[in-house]
Amino acid sequence: MNIKLKLARVAKNLSQQDLADQVGASRQTIGLIEKQRYNPSLNLCLGIAKALDKTLDELFWETDHE
Amino acid sequence: MSKTFMNMDERNVQVAGRVIAIMYLITILALNAAVIYRQIVLGQDFHDMEDIASILTFNSLFLISALLYFGAVTIRNLKISTLLMGYVGFVVLGSLFTYVKYNVFGDANLSLAQLLDKLFIIASICGLIVIFFTLFSILGKRRIDKALDD
Repeated sequence: MNIKLKLARVAKNLSQQDLADQVGASRQTIGLIEKQRYNPSLNLCLGIAKALDKTLDELFWETDHE
Repeated sequence: MSKTFMNMDERNVQVAGRVIAIMYLITILALNAAVIYRQIVLGQDFHDMEDIASILTFNSLFLISALLYFGAVTIRNLKISTLLMGYVGFVVLGSLFTYVKYNVFGDANLSLAQLLDKLFIIASICGLIVIFFTLFSILGKRRIDKALDD
């Protein structure tokens, strides 16, 4: 589970559908990214990062202890 | 970020592409199986299924050409020796298939002399195939190089 992405989305008070609409994806795709069942393209990662006002590192970088 | 055709996002396109590729493979295999079934079990003449054979042949030709053109297969350096080896391979395979087609599945038993007569046709068709593939790989390489230059 990509908890960082989920927390950032919730902190912005956005539903999966809201975020999906902003980045031009489907709700299912956002859900699958959060569950780490789909690897998004760099373009989609950038779109999500911009929509949530975060950097790619803050949303997608994994440290060793994660 | 805009959605594509039919509101598909990148994941939908990816999944659809994968499913289409698998279904394409199954269709081609099923067509091959149908040809073999009709020849061996039903005993039909191979002339009765030239339509399927044509579809399979042109499909394979265009599939390989498209793979080369769109960069699915990257050929770094086209060497004359590689092309020649490919050509010889095609001619050998073509001769083998023609021999099997006439002597195993067909009624006419081709002699070696008759096969040699057909060798000219096989060599010409194989030459065209190699030129066709080479042309598409060059065009594909140019297309990517142009995109890199822009």
